[in-house]
Order: sequence, then C-alpha cells, then structure tokens
Amino acid sequence: MEILNIINDEAVFLELNAASREECLQIMIDGMEKAGFVKDKAAYLAAVNEREQKGSTGIGFGVAIPHGKSGGVVSAGLAFARLANPVDWNSLDGKPVQLVFLIGVSDQDASNEHMKILIALSRKLIHEDFRKNLLAANSSAELFEVLQSI
Amino acid sequence: MKKILAVTACPTGIAHTYMAAEALLQAAKEKNVEIKVETRGAVGIENELTAADIAEAHAIIVAAATDVEESRFAGKPVVKVAIGQAIKDPRSIIEEALAVKPSAQEFIDQAAQNKAVKKAQITGPYKHLMTGVSYMLPVVVAGGLLIAISFIFGIEAFKQQGTLAAALMDIGGGTAFALMVPVLAGFIAFSIAEKPGLAPGLIGGMLASKVGAGFLGGIIAGFLAGYVTKWMKENIKLPKNFAGLVPILIIPFFGSAIVGLMMVYVIGGPMKAIMDALSGWLTNLGSGNAGMLGLLLGAMMAFDMGGPVNKAAYTFAVGLLGSGLYGPIAAVMAAGMTPPLGLWLATVLAPKKFSDEEREAGKAAGVLGISFITEGAIPFAAADPFRIIPSIMAGSAVAGALSMALGATLRAPHGGIFVLMIPNAVGNLVMYVLSIVAGTVVTALLVSLVKKNKTSA
Repeated sequence: MEILNIINDEAVFLELNAASREECLQIMIDGMEKAGFVKDKAAYLAAVNEREQKGSTGIGFGVAIPHGKSGGVVSAGLAFARLANPVDWNSLDGKPVQLVFLIGVSDQDASNEHMKILIALSRKLIHEDFRKNLLAANSSAELFEVLQSI
Repeated sequence: MKKILAVTACPTGIAHTYMAAEALLQAAKEKNVEIKVETRGAVGIENELTAADIAEAHAIIVAAATDVEESRFAGKPVVKVAIGQAIKDPRSIIEEALAVKPSAQEFIDQAAQNKAVKKAQITGPYKHLMTGVSYMLPVVVAGGLLIAISFIFGIEAFKQQGTLAAALMDIGGGTAFALMVPVLAGFIAFSIAEKPGLAPGLIGGMLASKVGAGFLGGIIAGFLAGYVTKWMKENIKLPKNFAGLVPILIIPFFGSAIVGLMMVYVIGGPMKAIMDALSGWLTNLGSGNAGMLGLLLGAMMAFDMGGPVNKAAYTFAVGLLGSGLYGPIAAVMAAGMTPPLGLWLATVLAPKKFSDEEREAGKAAGVLGISFITEGAIPFAAADPFRIIPSIMAGSAVAGALSMALGATLRAPHGGIFVLMIPNAVGNLVMYVLSIVAGTVVTALLVSLVKKNKTSA
C-alpha cells in the first residue's frame, strides 16, 4: 500500500494562512475535494466537527489530527497543512497547533489497508524526529518522502 | 523486572488509540520498562493480552473511553487514565503503574482466579471425582460443624435422648454424614453421564455406605454408575414411540439394578475389607507410623497448593472423617494452613528477601492461611517455585506429622482457625495449635534461609 494513494499535491498546504481552526478545516476540505477524496463537503465537515466536539483532536506537541468517517468521503484520504501562524485548537497541552493532518474515511473503509496507513501515521506522530522532519519539508515531494518513512 | 500491560481504545478508533499506545511504548522504552500494549481500534483488537501476560504483569494501564473487558484483570492493580492523558503524559502514567501495589483484596481475587483457572483445566476421571467431592463437601462441612457444636455440651452429651446435643448429633452425624457417600457417588456419576447417572449413583453410594465400603466403595459405585448409564444412554435405541421411556424408566431401572447388584455381590465385600483394614490400621497406628502418614499427607497438601495432589490428600482425609477417623483430617488441615501462614511469617521475619508487593501480599496470605485456603501461597510459589515449594512442603510435613503423632483430631473438614474455637471440635487442642505453629515456623525459617535478598529492597 502506497502512501501516495491517500494524499496528493492538491491536499498539501505548506505555508497555510488561516486565522482559526474553522478556516483551516475549510481550506483543507476544499483541498480534499480537489484531490478527489471527498464528494460531499458539508457531510464530511459535519462528521469532523462532531468528532471535534467529543474532544479536541489537538494531541499536543503542536499537532492536530482532525478526522471524520462519513458517506461524503469517496475513499480514504489525507490532507496536510503546516500553518504560517499556529492557531488555537483546544489541544491537550493547551498549545497552539502548527501541523494538521485531516483524515477522511468512508463508511466502507473500516479495517482496510488505508486504515492501516492512518494508524501507522498516528503512531509515528508521537515521535519527535518525525515531527521535526514534517516541519522541515520544503516541498510536497519532500513531505511525501517523509511520509513514506512510516 | 516489572512488566506493565496497557490497553488503549477510543470510540472512533482511528487515531487516539494508536497514539496513546505509541506514547506508552515510547515512554516505557525510555525508562527501560517491559510493556505490552493491546489496541482496540478501527481494525479490531491487535496485540491482544493473553492470560499469561496478565498473570505475570505488575499492573495494567487502561487508557480507554470504551469497554475493554476489564474483568480479565481481576486481581491485578489497574491504573485508569483518560486516553488523552496517555498521549500527553505517558511517563508519569508508567511511573504510577510501576508504583502501584496490589491490595489485599486484589491478592485474594488472584488466588480465586488461580483456583478458577485450575478448575477449568481439569478433565477426565479426575474431573468427575472432583465434581463428586465438591458436591459432597457442603454436606460434610454442615454435618461436621453441627456435630462439633453438639460437643459443646460435653463429648458424651448427645447420648442423652431428647437433648439439643442429641438433636444436633442426629442432624450432623445421623443424617448429613449418612448422605456423604451417596452424594459423592451420585455426583461422580452425574459428572460422567449427566442426569441419568444421578439415581444409580446415589443408590450405589447408599449401598456402599450400608455395606460398610465407605468412601472408597462410594467412589467405585459412582464411577460404575456413571459409565454404565453413559453407555446405556448412547447405545440403547428404541423405536421412536418408546424413546421417551429410556431416560425415565430404562436407564434408572437397569442402571440402578446393575450398579446395586454389583455393589452387593461383587464390589461391596472386598471394598469393605479394604476399608476395615484401613480403619483398623489407622486406629491402631503407633505414633511413629502416624507421624509418617501425617508427614506424607502434609507434604502432599503443600506440593501443589490446591492442585490434584493436594486434593487427593484432602479427599482421602475427608473420606476417613466420614468413617469416624478424625486424625488425618486434622493433619491435612494443619498442613494446608501452614504454607500461606509460613510465608506471611517469612515476610515479617526477613522483609529484605521480598519485594514491597510481596510484603503486602504476605498480610493477605496470613488471612488466607488462618482460613485454611492453601491457594494463598500460590503467588509466592509461582514467583520462585524451586525455593518456595520445597520450603512449604517441609513446613507442612512437620505440621502434619506432629498433628498425627501427637494425636490431634478434628471433627469438621474445614474452617481453619475458626473451628478451633468450638469447644471439643478439636481433640488435643493445645498439641494441635502447637503443630500448626511449628509448621508455620519451619516454613518461615526455611523460606528466609533459601530465598535470596532482593537487590532492589
């Protein structure tokens, strides 16, 4: 399974200017649609917001992993944003967020190969060197290289 | 080294489950702590904790917002945290898990757990025998204690017709003890052949009692009834219209007839001879031979702490109790009490040889010991079998041998220290207490001697 099957250039934002969590999510979801992962943006956004209400997905260390499982998703996909100015995300450690992975999963995706990649990514985010590499990537090509290490 | 387990789970199961798992793994690695993490996420249960993992774990971290089947962890300290906490601060959670100590209650649960596991493992004839014994025990315990209470009024008081002592003796000795062998035989047969086995088994057991073949005859009657009815159940085929008659008429009738006739004409006589010889030998045992028997029974009680060897010794002694022989059961109870008692004493005498949690566990073992629950010694024995088991066997052998040699007797088959408080229930009470104390001290000294110092203490 290739990481590039679930992320592409359209869904990568390396110096994103967003004033808030909401704006950030909006831009990233637009990117997911262009990339072909999402067909019904409103339904998917609702799922993401619902998850966010259960508890923030800001896991600390400046990282957030908003995610949603929705019929609005065509097939599992990922968007990445590195924010020019970190935004508040209600994180576990209270710190603003700079790295965002938006994860979309369709109703049929549970337990398939895509899921395993997302799980591997989640695990990897705990490691500091992986986060440093994400912060250092200068192009989407470099970012994909980092992601391929998972 | 302490081994920590963890379970992580969250409702969507995509991210947090795995991040928490990874965070705990990373923190444990930094601290050089052995850890295994079960994840319950979107792809199901991975890296599932086995019963063996749980048994050897020091503590279990539960970082979950959903059900993680916590009942598996009975008897182990559980550290519960919010899943976000595990991601944010895994180090202090690992530290907390390392620092927890099992409570006395958890220790007792663990002994119960060990017992349950063992029960589930046993099969075949041994299982049938144990089923019979476990149904018989309440009858014997009730009878034995009621008889013991009748002795409060004096050892001969029950001979006076119409008194309370006579009534108690009639309930305990005349009725409960009379049911002992039939219930044993009946439920051995029940275990083998289910319901159809019960009637022939009960009848065969009653006959064993009547002809004087005792509990040995009862065991034979039970197995005979069980296998005969099982064979009939599987092999007697009648036309459909009559098939209903098999369980209600054919099996009870022919089964009981076969078992009964066998008991009366074939098995009863020889078994009675064996029982009589055994009783005669035990009654006239010199104190030297009595000591040898007590030594053997005692060592058996400690060898596997509630396992088959222990149960063999116990069943033998309970059976003899039904035939009016009170020495072996006294030896067996003394020997069953000393392993946990001795280990408790060892934790007090030589604290440096035990970890913090073992010292804590020692207190619980003391409580289990005075209650005659030998299983209380299992956690110690499991941790260091080659030093602990010989030590507790020696202590129990001493307790059993002294109890038999000094002529201590016991009229109830269970009860630990509590039965000692009933006047006249124990013959030669002072000597009996002395035997238990001696066994406890021998166990404690040997354990203290052979166990190595804990480097971490």
